[in-house]
Amino acid sequence: MPPIVVKPPTLQALWRSLPSFGGARRYLAGGTDLVAGANAAPAGVKARPKGGSFDRTEVWVDISGLKELRGIKETKTSLMIGAGAKIAELEASPLVRRWLPVLSAAIPHFASPSLRNMATIGGNAANASPCADAVCALCAEKAQVLLEFKGKRRKLALPALFKGPKKTVLRKDELIVAFEVPKWKHSGAYLKLGPRSYFGISKAAVAAALEMDGEKVRSVCIALASVAPVPLLAVKTANYLCGRMLNEENARTAAALVKTEVSPITDVRSEAGYRREMCGVLLERALNSIASGVSGIN
Amino acid sequence: MKKESIRLEAVNGVFRISLTVNGVKKNFAVKNNEFLLNALRRYGYKGAKKGCDTGDCGSCTVIFNGKPALACLIPAFTAHGAEITTIEGVGTVRNPHPLQEAFVEAGAVQCGFCIPGMILSSKHLLDVNPSPSEDDIKKYLDGNLCRCTGYVKQIQAVKMAAKKIKKA
Repeated sequence: MPPIVVKPPTLQALWRSLPSFGGARRYLAGGTDLVAGANAAPAGVKARPKGGSFDRTEVWVDISGLKELRGIKETKTSLMIGAGAKIAELEASPLVRRWLPVLSAAIPHFASPSLRNMATIGGNAANASPCADAVCALCAEKAQVLLEFKGKRRKLALPALFKGPKKTVLRKDELIVAFEVPKWKHSGAYLKLGPRSYFGISKAAVAAALEMDGEKVRSVCIALASVAPVPLLAVKTANYLCGRMLNEENARTAAALVKTEVSPITDVRSEAGYRREMCGVLLERALNSIASGVSGIN
Repeated sequence: MKKESIRLEAVNGVFRISLTVNGVKKNFAVKNNEFLLNALRRYGYKGAKKGCDTGDCGSCTVIFNGKPALACLIPAFTAHGAEITTIEGVGTVRNPHPLQEAFVEAGAVQCGFCIPGMILSSKHLLDVNPSPSEDDIKKYLDGNLCRCTGYVKQIQAVKMAAKKIKKA
């Protein structure tokens, strides 16, 4: 850990004092990823993760005190979720429960209750892990992410934030400040396949958000976790489903299609072939559960 | 009035922080690579156990600013100004918390290593939800691993404690 830690009280104070912080710096929010990585180094090995910037970091900027990053607000057309909102806050929020069925379904799968009290939604995105449950769910909710650097803001579609495993398009010192999630009348499901029902990192996960127009699908967004270098949007599959009836046959075709869109790898958690197959199975289950009116079934 | 940033700087690798542990104000000198768990144990709060050190097992659970959190993942310096409850602040041998009594009565304690974390997680559950269902209890204790029992007794214990607390 670094010799200097700075905790600015406001965003303005952060931008004002940023030049005085010196060389390499990193933002510290919930700490569950930044810190766990260093702790997991095998006993006796002094070096930090190879190639990691951990040892070169001289200053940690603790952003947990920034009130601008807190809270969940409702506007006419969207929900604004502060990047510093803890996962447990989202879990307890009536707004999230009302408007974001996919995220609500995903949160019980997000680590353990005590970790949900620590981890922030902004950190979940900044860490850029392809298996992040909350991020995958937000992608399906059609979320946008707001970035800020010295008062200048830019807005991206959330999937565009990610460049690869643990890599984002964030520029130096740029901060994720909020997520803007549109309010639309959809049902959703989040199905995750892990080593256990709860508290495990996924082998594959499917987030599906669907708005119906009578019998037909008006709008659909499907995101997948752990089966590509980044949280993946299944655009082809979504295009196929759009305007079609939501029945078992179409769900089966969509399941076959989604398997051609993913690019899973074999690693410690699972095998590529199995992951690809399970994407189809999970999507079919998700679509059928939405069709039978059981929103957000796990 | 402009609020200025709190700046903590390690002098010879040591941060000086002040925090509240179990209702008592304390000053800790913590190393810059030290975690809250290690600092707490060094200052005598040995009820918080060091299990996996990576946030998986839950044996280091403490109540951090009102919510259960994992002390092994909290850099000690970020506890500056925090309020912490450890198992030492929950009950004593002579005057145990209803949860602690219930854990003993139900036979939920075998080796005991996971129990401080279990008690603190359950205590927070009962604080926010005085009559939890079995499902609530299971979900709440999700992050507290026990390698001796099959979790059945702990769930019974939390149910017993909930009844005890309501009667009292």
